[in-house]
Amino acid sequence: MASLITCPHCGRRPREEFSIRGDAVPERPAPAASEEAWHAYVYLRENPRGKIREYWHHVAGCRRWLVVERDNLTHEVFAVTDARDMANGGAA
Amino acid sequence: MSISFIHRHILEDRMSGYEPSPNVNHLTVIRRPVIFSAIAHAGHEVSVAEALSLVENIVARSVSPSDWLVVSQSTDAGTIATSLAAIPGLSFAEQSDGQVLMALSGPDVRTILAKCVAVDLHADVFAEGFSAPMMICRVAGNLARTGADTFEIIVPRSYAGYVFDELREAGREHAVTRGFGE
Repeated sequence: MASLITCPHCGRRPREEFSIRGDAVPERPAPAASEEAWHAYVYLRENPRGKIREYWHHVAGCRRWLVVERDNLTHEVFAVTDARDMANGGAA
Repeated sequence: MSISFIHRHILEDRMSGYEPSPNVNHLTVIRRPVIFSAIAHAGHEVSVAEALSLVENIVARSVSPSDWLVVSQSTDAGTIATSLAAIPGLSFAEQSDGQVLMALSGPDVRTILAKCVAVDLHADVFAEGFSAPMMICRVAGNLARTGADTFEIIVPRSYAGYVFDELREAGREHAVTRGFGE
């Protein structure tokens, strides 16, 4: 696993400071969406090899939620973005 | 009948022992600092940061873009609370009894901290006046550079004993002494 993550607020930090909080790809369905859509959102996950996008929480640092784009094969980190900037239509 | 509560620092028991005078490398535990946690409301981050920098007798240690630890060693909590309350878009809570402030200083301070912190503390990257939240001896705390050879550490009170012991152990080869400071 990538051992150094460049937090947009704190700079280069060891991965021990972070907590991985899961896949950032699924999009939350509308509240009135079908049961199938909610089941898929809550339980079903892809298990891809290569480039993935995850939520990381910088628990021991700025306590911000980040979206980390990384490769689970080569350990390369492509991008780290604040989750709020991402939600506001920032860099994907 | 009046009851007086005597302040007893969490690290009081660890200060016993024989140390005639402080060495060049010294760990000072600030006995009664005033520490506030301050959070800016959404949209007020920039204005609050600027307002905090204008308040006298405090330093705002950065935690996140909208989050600070306000530290003072010279002013009482009431005065600071009044100043903070005047800043629009800021929420705050006193943390003085929940956090422990320590200062590590001396020529070998970077070698000692290198055993506790996985962040580059070179003066080019982590300059004087700089502060950041980070893991200190595996405890989430806040580290600030207050001088060329002086760093200040803020950790939660319940972890302070452990961090104190680790810093002492890390500083043993450099003969770090310890003591209370005001």
